[in-house]
Amino acid sequence: MNDGNKVILLVEDNPDDVALTLRAFKRSHLMNPITVARDGIEALDFMFARGDFADRAALPTIVILDLKLPKLDGLGVLKAMRADPRTQFLPVVILTSSKEEQDLISGYALGANSYVRKPVDFAEFLEAVKVLGIYWLMMNEVPPQGTAP
Amino acid sequence: MKISTKGRLATGIALATIGLIAAVIWWANTEVDDANRQRRQTSEITRALNDLRLVSFEYILHRTERARLQEHEVATRLDRLIADDPFRDPQAIEVLAQLREDVQATHRIFEEFLAGATPGPDPAAGPDATRLFEAQLSSRLLVLQQESLTAALRLADHSTQRIDAAQRRVVVAILLGLALIAVTTAAIGWLIGRHVLRPIARLEQATREVAAGNWNFQVNLSSRDEIGDMARNFDAMTRALREAFAEVQRKNDELAALNKEIEAFSYSVSHDLRAPLRSMDGFSLALIEDYGDKLDADALDSLNRIRAASQRMGRLIDELLGLSRVTRTELVVRSVNLSAIAREIADSLERMHPGRDVRWEISEGMTVQADKSLMHIAMQNLLENAWKFTGKTANAVIRVGIGEANGERHCFVADNGVGFDMSFADRLFGAFQRLHHESEFSGTGIGLAIVQRIFRRHEGRIWVQARPGEGATFFFSFKEPSHE
Repeated sequence: MNDGNKVILLVEDNPDDVALTLRAFKRSHLMNPITVARDGIEALDFMFARGDFADRAALPTIVILDLKLPKLDGLGVLKAMRADPRTQFLPVVILTSSKEEQDLISGYALGANSYVRKPVDFAEFLEAVKVLGIYWLMMNEVPPQGTAP
Repeated sequence: MKISTKGRLATGIALATIGLIAAVIWWANTEVDDANRQRRQTSEITRALNDLRLVSFEYILHRTERARLQEHEVATRLDRLIADDPFRDPQAIEVLAQLREDVQATHRIFEEFLAGATPGPDPAAGPDATRLFEAQLSSRLLVLQQESLTAALRLADHSTQRIDAAQRRVVVAILLGLALIAVTTAAIGWLIGRHVLRPIARLEQATREVAAGNWNFQVNLSSRDEIGDMARNFDAMTRALREAFAEVQRKNDELAALNKEIEAFSYSVSHDLRAPLRSMDGFSLALIEDYGDKLDADALDSLNRIRAASQRMGRLIDELLGLSRVTRTELVVRSVNLSAIAREIADSLERMHPGRDVRWEISEGMTVQADKSLMHIAMQNLLENAWKFTGKTANAVIRVGIGEANGERHCFVADNGVGFDMSFADRLFGAFQRLHHESEFSGTGIGLAIVQRIFRRHEGRIWVQARPGEGATFFFSFKEPSHE
């Protein structure tokens, strides 16, 4: 039932968190290819197929976005995505340590589709990633590629 | 010049004028009195002169003894009348003196008559000579008496003139006085307008401007009077207030900057302090999951302890952030239904811990004026505490209600749990203060610090009564009359 062609873009600068998130996906039996961007600029380069990612195959199906990132922070990435017709409707899940109300509000205001806080307890984190994967990769219907108003 | 000095001056002028008028009236009154007396006496004199003329001629015609006695009586009366010197006016005194001389002359002539009537020293002269002499005498007497009457009439005229003059002077004095009073009154009116009403209007404008928040408004009155002093004091006050407000503003800006820093700090704490904990927990679990079969019980226990410690520190960080958030959030005060909040929290506790049997007694209709989300946090902490510390109590009861003590209304959350010794009560509300071992009752020790901070932010207070083994009651009240 898993569509292996659906690429997940994980925007995360902390290698530990990258490893843990990848582990969580693996343990949740989500076999989708995962591309990791380590800062905001890299993330945008991947999505808009420029720089090192000029030859990337396709847009990711979902972007999992940390807020605190080097160079360009998560909210900046989100803003740039929503301003471009190619990524305007791309589902973005904010996955961050912050529980600050202001971050939540800003995230949703800029068009985030979901906001998940990274729990310290890995078991809880695992559960969260599982639910995320099931919802966004299997149940959610996305608008056709390149559709823009 | 001070306004009070001006006022005294004007009052002085008015009083002096009134005094002057009174003096003139008094003077005129005595003048008229005197003139009247002069007139009365003059008419007495005139009557006496008339009488004298009648009786003296009666004597000259009839030579009766009765007439001579009468003449003597009238002459004595007249002498008495003119002997008095009741006049003050020099003209009247002069006329009176003239009259006196005339009367004396009249008396002398009459004496001569009397001497002639008796057998005279010169009988040789014959009756014709006597008659001629008598005729001459009587004609001189007539002339003198006529002159005396004229003088008396002049005296009468003079007193009438004096009365008239006095009346005229009174009228002139009153008119002049009234004019002076009118001028003074007009001057006072002008002075009040220029030196009192206009500056007061300016001051009034100043108070309005300052009340509207224009701290730069200056009255700038230069007058050296009381209102000038007041204006200068007002300006000084505005300046002082302006400086004080500038100081407050500066302090506020500093505080805002500090708050921003704290926010940035909290943000980075929230992000960066939690990340290593996630790694510790996550990789410990990875070890347990991936290599659990190769590890002995001690190693597994150590890993589990690492996980538990990481999670506990995560909770501590979260609660510390919660504590700082309570201080940072903006207060939105409105009517909050405390009963509903308590009921909601009670239901969720029942759902999360289905094994417990706790009796809830929550009063209906408890309403307070407060920030709803903060009140929810406070009640959550208080009710969770009550729930937690009745965990080992049979027939646990948690009550939420309203009470009154010392005329002050308060709300309370009471339980019949383990309670504590009141000698620890003052430590209760400090951050990280615990009265029980964590092995007995879990918790970070921040909850009540958060609760106290919430009530402080509402300018209210919280206090506690407890006994070991009998439970604890937390009371809280708000500054405003908050219960309806």
